[in-house]
Order: sequence, then structure tokens, then C-alpha cells
Amino acid sequence: MADVREDILARLLVVVAAIPGMRSVHRNNVDISEDQLPAVCVFDADEESDDLQNRPSNSRGMVRMTPEIVIAEKTAGQVGSELTALRRELIRRVLLDTDLNNLVAGSSPRGDGAIRYLGCQTDVGWMRSLHGALRAQFTFKYWLKPDEL
Amino acid sequence: MIDYSALLYDPVYAEIGVPATFINGENEVTLTVIDDTRPKVLPAGSAEVRSVGPGAFVRIPELEQNGISRDDWQDASLTFNGRDWTVRSYELRGSPNGEELGEVRFLLKAASDG
Repeated sequence: MADVREDILARLLVVVAAIPGMRSVHRNNVDISEDQLPAVCVFDADEESDDLQNRPSNSRGMVRMTPEIVIAEKTAGQVGSELTALRRELIRRVLLDTDLNNLVAGSSPRGDGAIRYLGCQTDVGWMRSLHGALRAQFTFKYWLKPDEL
Repeated sequence: MIDYSALLYDPVYAEIGVPATFINGENEVTLTVIDDTRPKVLPAGSAEVRSVGPGAFVRIPELEQNGISRDDWQDASLTFNGRDWTVRSYELRGSPNGEELGEVRFLLKAASDG
């Protein structure tokens, strides 16, 4: 059994947990309290396939998985600059992680799996202090092999 | 005309108001405030971050009687119920007797990074 999707998501959690200064790390936790901040959370991904050819149902094909990563923090400083610094760490660590790149490349018979940064959005708001959150999306392009699931 | 200060605000503040210390520069006075700290949620994509939005109601006539004008509100320190806050903004709550006889809700932030 080789479920590349789960392998990627599990590794992604390890990678984001290593971002300096994080107090808590979550997967699919929608409810974060302020004493857990700064927090990073990986949300399991939407997937889509671009294989529209008439092939047997057990054929291998490329899929694109797009997990969302949320980083939330509170600060007495400049929330925008701090979110930008966290974004830089996040992008660098995800795109350059050897294990993640090996997972997507190794899933493909031609080694053409890929990781791409799609973009991010931010939210800020006053609570007990100024809070900020950054949501970033990445696409993981890998081969789905039904016969190996 | 009903006197809302005498019939509404005074009894309410006497019942649920708490003493607070207001400091701005050399102004330091004791006021009666109503703690209005509320639950607050920040949407963060698929997640929500839960905290509180601290606030306090104060009667504007009481501020005026203590020599505190609107220019003194911003960035003032307000201590009540064992916590120290800083006024980061405010919203006026008019009364049927007019804005100057109504309340202000101070929007607060933690005085220290907490």
C-alpha cells in the first residue's frame, strides 16, 4: 500500500512544525485558542485529476492536491511584517524540502511530480491584542496509482 | 422627558459597575466602568482563532466631571477587575437625552503583550 496523498500531508505537517517560534501544530483543527498561538495548521486538501482520457479505471494518472496551511499569531509589533516573515519561512521550507520533493517525484514514472506555491491571503483583527493569520495554498502534483492503494 | 441618567444608567452602574483607574499623562482618576469583555473570533481560512475583545462602558458625564475630555481617551490606561488595558479606540453610545449624557464603550488592548 502506498498512499502518496497521506504521505505528503503527513510530511507537510512535520515541515511546517519546524517553522521557528510555533507554539502549536495542528492538522484539520478548526478551533484554535489564543494560548496556542503562534499556531500552524495543515488542512487536508482538495484534489483534482486532469486525466480525461478513456482509459481503464485502474490506470495511473496525475492528480493535483491543494492543501491549505494556516499560520495564526498575535503580536504587540507589526503584524504585517511578522506574517511576511512567516510566509517566507513557509514557502522556503515547503518548496525546498527534500522528502516532499522525493515523494512527488518518486510517485511519477518520469519523475515529473511537482510542488508549486499558489498564493496566500491574510486576515487581521483586534482581539486582546492584534491578531493576524496567513493562509497559503500549495499544489502537489503526483501520480495516483490505484493498484498500489 | 425621562432622565435616563437617573433612571437607567445610575442604577445599572451601581449594580454591575466596578471601580477602574483611568490614567492619561498626569490625569489619574477613579471611575465606574462596566466590564464588557466579549468572546471574539478571528476567521483564518478553514480555522477560527478564539480570544476575547476587551471593552468597558463608561458614562460620559462621569468622565467630564473628572476633567477627562475626548482628547484624553486615546491611549489612556484603564485598570479594572485585576487587568491592565490600553484604550485603542472607542465607540459612542448616545442616550435619548443626547450624546453628552450617554456612554462610551472603550475598545481595549492588553497593556502588555499577552
